[in-house]
Amino acid sequence: MPILSAMASLKVTLVGMLLLSVGSMLTYGGDTGVTVWVLIVPMLLLALNLMCAIATSRKINGQPGLLVFHLSLLALVIVIAVGRLAHLDAQIEIVVGQSFDGSHLVDLQQGPWHTGDLSEITFLQGPYSVSYEPGVQRGATASRIGLLDKNSGFEKEIVVGDDTPLIFGDYRLYTSFNKGYAVILEWLPKEGGSYSGSVNMPSFPLNDYRQKNEWTPPGSDTTVKFWLRLDTGYDEEDYWVLSMDNSSGVLVMTVDDLRVELQEGESLQFDDGLLKYKELTMWMGYTIFYDPTLRWLFFISTFGVLGLGWHLWSRADRLLGQNFESDTKGGVN
Amino acid sequence: MTLAAELPWLWGSLFALALATGAAIWGMLPRYSYDGALTEASSNARFESFVLWSLLLSIVLMTIAMGVRWDRIGHGPFVSLFELLMSQIWSLSIFYIVIYWRAPSLRGTSVIIFPALWVLGSWVLILDPTASFYPATYYNNWKWAHVLFGKVFLGAALFGVGLAGIILLRQTRAAKLFSKMPSSAVLDHIAWRFMMLALIFDSLMLIAGAVWAQDAWGRYWQWDELETSSFLNWLYLGAIIHLRMTYRMPLQVGAWLVIGVFVFAFLTYFGAPYFSPSAHKGVV
Ligand code: HEM
Repeated sequence: MPILSAMASLKVTLVGMLLLSVGSMLTYGGDTGVTVWVLIVPMLLLALNLMCAIATSRKINGQPGLLVFHLSLLALVIVIAVGRLAHLDAQIEIVVGQSFDGSHLVDLQQGPWHTGDLSEITFLQGPYSVSYEPGVQRGATASRIGLLDKNSGFEKEIVVGDDTPLIFGDYRLYTSFNKGYAVILEWLPKEGGSYSGSVNMPSFPLNDYRQKNEWTPPGSDTTVKFWLRLDTGYDEEDYWVLSMDNSSGVLVMTVDDLRVELQEGESLQFDDGLLKYKELTMWMGYTIFYDPTLRWLFFISTFGVLGLGWHLWSRADRLLGQNFESDTKGGVN
Repeated sequence: MTLAAELPWLWGSLFALALATGAAIWGMLPRYSYDGALTEASSNARFESFVLWSLLLSIVLMTIAMGVRWDRIGHGPFVSLFELLMSQIWSLSIFYIVIYWRAPSLRGTSVIIFPALWVLGSWVLILDPTASFYPATYYNNWKWAHVLFGKVFLGAALFGVGLAGIILLRQTRAAKLFSKMPSSAVLDHIAWRFMMLALIFDSLMLIAGAVWAQDAWGRYWQWDELETSSFLNWLYLGAIIHLRMTYRMPLQVGAWLVIGVFVFAFLTYFGAPYFSPSAHKGVV
């Protein structure tokens, strides 16, 4: 069939590769706003081209190693596409002592086929530490995690951080550079009841000088501005560990013209209630990644390379040796 | 420049490489008898074994230099440009010495390979050897696979440069220096076999790198400068292999395409980190 063989042409391959390289140059830098079609179109063209070539060319379908390699390229394109359709990427900040709550995800991006169940993720955030070397160079992060059993509660403690993610099925949670301090507050309105909550301060030590946030207690119309004056032993020029063990903080509250400094345990009376600064604690930011195709990507690509290796091996005349002239009389290839 | 403990060994290694380079070129030069006729370079064998031994010495000294540095700063040569270049000279030399030793008829490639190693060597000399910071994510074991595959890839690409260089030099007046080597068609054939080997190890390097990136940064691919550049490098390799199958091309054109692989890889590893030093280190 003329169309089939035209589509199988290696010239189409070259065009497809050229387009793919242009597409990846445009995509360079990650979230650049360039449509992903600059990658999808060349990949589709290459995939079609490859399928036609496999159907028509003895050169490719008659050489098993080569065939395995090209089939794995084809499979990779498909699996990557499935992965993108099913993926989930998000961030979450979890306060020490609290458990994971999937409704608090931010920067959430997910593919239309995402069928994962976030309720698989059940854990309690424990204390953590991050070591720094002089020059604010971030070293190891050790985040203690209490794994929870759905029925019986606490199950066991593990430590994650950096390249050791917290894994629940196909969900992987990675500690991130984004972490910092939080204050636990209690609001006791005049009309009774009590509300407890936490206010996360901006990422530390990135925003060392801007430990500010604001909050409006439930049912109140007063907005309280907070500034956390920290004592952490933080020294840019020295080794330092970010941890609760060497941290304390005074909470400076500003309401209109009133400015009050509270130590942990102290409270401030408002017209409509009492606000208590219960304690200083920390929060850890996690990057959540879900892609059920990861292991497939690994196996397919490895298998493909093995195929190419086999192809080279099976055609390897003596690569290194002395009789090249006689070995390759037949031609260049 | 601070005087670091590894420097004397590094200088020693580069000195030995200089001896190897000198001997390799000297050994290739034509010899004339008193009556002006070109004679057989009868001393070639002696020169070649001198080259072999001084290259080996250079590798041994570089190994010591890297070991001393490792001991001094507490981590392997994976971070600063100074240590990355040392480590590349070391592995490229090892890749090449095996070929030099096992394939005597291809020893002429040394007059191309050694000067290329010198580009790296003289670069190392102007860099600062101060201790580098070792990011937490570099403790990951996939780093070893990634680095090892990358080294084989670059080794194969550099050897391609050696073969392609001879093909190109044969177009010049220097042609007679290489009269004892296999024909250009044969060199071309071997060079493209090495390109296939390079593609295999480049692919393995990308796979291991992606696994590492997944562990280290929570994503296997994100089009950062190194990732984009190394993907283009991989695609370039695939494309030129297909280009050569699709069109009949003069050997010289093929030779330039082969040289392009190494140049591309060189710019990827030693150029991209200049655009964004933090991209592959995960600082803050
Ligand atoms: C996208 C990345 C691709 C890479 C990296 C790649 C790589 C390779 C390699 C290394 C060879 C072996 C060359 C040799 O035996 O000398 C080869 C052969 C071949 N490729 Fe690809 N390929 C790719 C895509 C494609 C596509 C899309 C097609 C579709 C037409 C294709 C068709 C062929 C054919 C027909 C051969 C056999 C040629 C022969 O043995 O003479 N390849 N490819």
